[in-house]
Amino acid sequence: MILPIGPIHPALKEPVRLKLKTQGEKVISAEIDYGYVHRGIERVMEGKTWQKAIFLSERVCGICSYIHTQTFAETFEKMAGEKVPLRAQYLRSLTNELDRIQSHFIANSTYFKALEHETLFMYMLHLREPVMDAIELLTGNRVNMGWNVVGGVRMDAKEKHLNSIYQIITHLESEYDKYVQMFDQGPLVGLRSKDVGKMSNEDAIKGRAVGPIGRASGIKHDVREDHHTYQDEFDWKVIWRKEGDNYARTMNRFDEITESIKIIKQVIENIPPGEVRKKIDIPAGYEEWRNEAPRGEVSYYIESNGNLIKNISIRTPSIMNIDVCGKYMLKDVATVADAVATYASVDPCVACTERVVILNEKGEKREFDGLHKVKYLK
Amino acid sequence: MLDGLKDVVRKSSIHVCLINTGGCNGCDIEVVALLSPRYDLEQYGIYVHNNPREADVLLITGAVTEQWKKNLQRIYAKAPEPKVVVTIGNCPLTGDVFNQEGCSVYAPVSDFIPVDAEIPGCPPRPSEILAAILAVGPDAIAAKGRQKP
Amino acid sequence: MSSVIWYLYEFARKSWAENFAVAKTNPEIVETPERFRDFPQVFPDYCISCGACTAACPAPNAIKLVRSEDTAEEEGKAYPVINNRGCIRCGFCAEVCPTDPKTITCGENHLIREEFTILPADRMFIIDDYLCIRCKKCMKACPVYGAIYEEDNKIVIDQSVCISCGECLKNCPVKGAVKGIYVANVQEQKDIINLTVNTLEEAIEEKRDDISHLSDKEVYKFDLPIDELVERARSILANDDLILDTFQKITDRLKLRIVTWDEDKCKKCRLCVDECPSGAITYDEKEDVIKRDTKKCLRCSTCYQTCPFGVAGYYVSRFLLDPPSLEEGVIHITVKASQLPIGAD
Repeated sequence: MILPIGPIHPALKEPVRLKLKTQGEKVISAEIDYGYVHRGIERVMEGKTWQKAIFLSERVCGICSYIHTQTFAETFEKMAGEKVPLRAQYLRSLTNELDRIQSHFIANSTYFKALEHETLFMYMLHLREPVMDAIELLTGNRVNMGWNVVGGVRMDAKEKHLNSIYQIITHLESEYDKYVQMFDQGPLVGLRSKDVGKMSNEDAIKGRAVGPIGRASGIKHDVREDHHTYQDEFDWKVIWRKEGDNYARTMNRFDEITESIKIIKQVIENIPPGEVRKKIDIPAGYEEWRNEAPRGEVSYYIESNGNLIKNISIRTPSIMNIDVCGKYMLKDVATVADAVATYASVDPCVACTERVVILNEKGEKREFDGLHKVKYLK
Repeated sequence: MLDGLKDVVRKSSIHVCLINTGGCNGCDIEVVALLSPRYDLEQYGIYVHNNPREADVLLITGAVTEQWKKNLQRIYAKAPEPKVVVTIGNCPLTGDVFNQEGCSVYAPVSDFIPVDAEIPGCPPRPSEILAAILAVGPDAIAAKGRQKP
Repeated sequence: MSSVIWYLYEFARKSWAENFAVAKTNPEIVETPERFRDFPQVFPDYCISCGACTAACPAPNAIKLVRSEDTAEEEGKAYPVINNRGCIRCGFCAEVCPTDPKTITCGENHLIREEFTILPADRMFIIDDYLCIRCKKCMKACPVYGAIYEEDNKIVIDQSVCISCGECLKNCPVKGAVKGIYVANVQEQKDIINLTVNTLEEAIEEKRDDISHLSDKEVYKFDLPIDELVERARSILANDDLILDTFQKITDRLKLRIVTWDEDKCKKCRLCVDECPSGAITYDEKEDVIKRDTKKCLRCSTCYQTCPFGVAGYYVSRFLLDPPSLEEGVIHITVKASQLPIGAD
């Protein structure tokens, strides 16, 4: 029997259609349909200056909006062959980690909501609010921050802002452990999470899982390892796990929050003085750049004619993660309730996914293989 | 007498369905943030269910995309009377930054279904959403309930 | 099991129970930080109709340049109008606006200089903590959120937020608790204050004969018309509001101490010369006379307390401007002998 879930459904926050093939209560396989929120952002960006396009790239996704602007700006900076001032790099890392923390909190809270564990859902949201305050304090807006520009960041952080962010983060650090314990040692939550929605390492590599989902299945890779600021300035490590089940994915995100807190503390302790923005002239050319979004690797491919964007392609992590979820995790799941929880555990961000349709030479739809570069459609 | 009783009941228990018709997700996240203990939407008797069949208020976010042109009207038809439509953010009002040459959005939402209240902002802060919903929600539903079909 | 214990522990905590009993919404949920970018504000008076804001705006429906209708005197002006339904609150319009002061302001921005985000005002309002009775009427009357706040049981005005509308002053029940200080023309204000105080002192000095007979319990009253004073103040600065305000503050707060000097009684003992802290009293050896320089005198009353013969007289005077207007106002002066002990150590 085919059990359709969505696009508007109590279990889902975003419009996506899950078609579960069931046998009794058991889910045999699943199919995921997207296409409900395709807005044509890349087409709109073409022929625009970066000043306008950066706000469009911010609205690719509302949860991880920050990393899109950073990747967009860094692509242009790489095209010009320049790096932003060190203080701006620090501030970008600071905002990036704050954004990662709030995104992981909302991902985990959605997972607990899917488990119907309302208490942890509320606690996660309650922990998230101070982080949103910190973001608003620093950038001026909660969600779409408008904080990055090509050449740096728009406003300098004053001493008082950094101090209050430090306070928020230390308070978060002291509060946060007991909720992780609640999840880690709670037997009922564990029963619903451990050994549910398992994905093996081979499947994860075959399906090109990225981000916390890939790392929970043993792919030890974080794009931040290749980023110059994170390489040179901060002391941190890649979090990864071997289990590959819902528990591992959620715990992976929890551990990454700890790591982000560590990075934020280093940023605030070591931030150098100086300028935060410099003028960068953009040459004509083609460039690509990758960054680690909260959900995994986000890549930008931009072709510019010096002033206007000629061609742009954005690849977001959720498309791969939702794909592997449908293909490998929702296979032989014991109950439908577990299937919904598994879907929530991959932290799906549907607004991200609606980018491009890949066609082959004959104009037929081609299967999306994540690790290959997206070729431009001429 | 009966109308008065119905008014009280309708005002104190509002079920909300959140429909993302193709936005960036930011407004949806702010609505989820409203559920957090700091804002605590449920203390006002408002429950976010995401089930159109028992919804009193349809919260609409996002510019209308190709897929939603028909489906939005279908969902609106499925919600029982009395119902109120509240749009959150700029996307349902003008299409926001997406509504430019080459896009595939069909804003505004009011072209497809009647809209009772709107909250501008990209995205609005949770406190703004809360203030707007409380200002319009309960009374509008009660007023709609009193109208004879 | 452990999680159940955890719940029990959590709910048994005192702070949890207290919060549960008096649950209410925190005010912090509507507070916005100072950097929060709200919808931009437009000041059409400064606009030069260059269109930079519309060119920079990333949202297609947010800003429109509109042109007001022509009148007989002047042509209509074109200025931007923000459509809240399309604005994404990025603040780029404020960043690119070339006018000075900015036509469009939006939150804190690195290119907007701080002095232009504050509305131009010539008055600054402060609260005198000594007089304030903490009735919080000013907080209720204040139209700007967060401009007047309470801190450590003190009511404080945040100058960076205050728009100098004066509502707090109007609603304050205590005279003088909220002060509107004129920020500009400081030197002129000093001159007016000096002029007024000197005039008052001269007026009292003229009546010295009447005053010196005063016993401890008597008071001496007389009136001073202010016509001439106003004329001279206007020649310094022609701002009637400021002059009236200064006069009122002087008459409300000033407690003028008068030192009289009766040379007939002096026995040239020179005790006062050594005691005077400012060197205002000197002894001239050639003429064998004690001299007192009124310009140097601090009115500290040390000489009055030192002199064993009662040469120096010490009086205190208070003032009232009634009615409070420059045209009809008269300064009522009350002089009274000081209650200080004489010949104290």
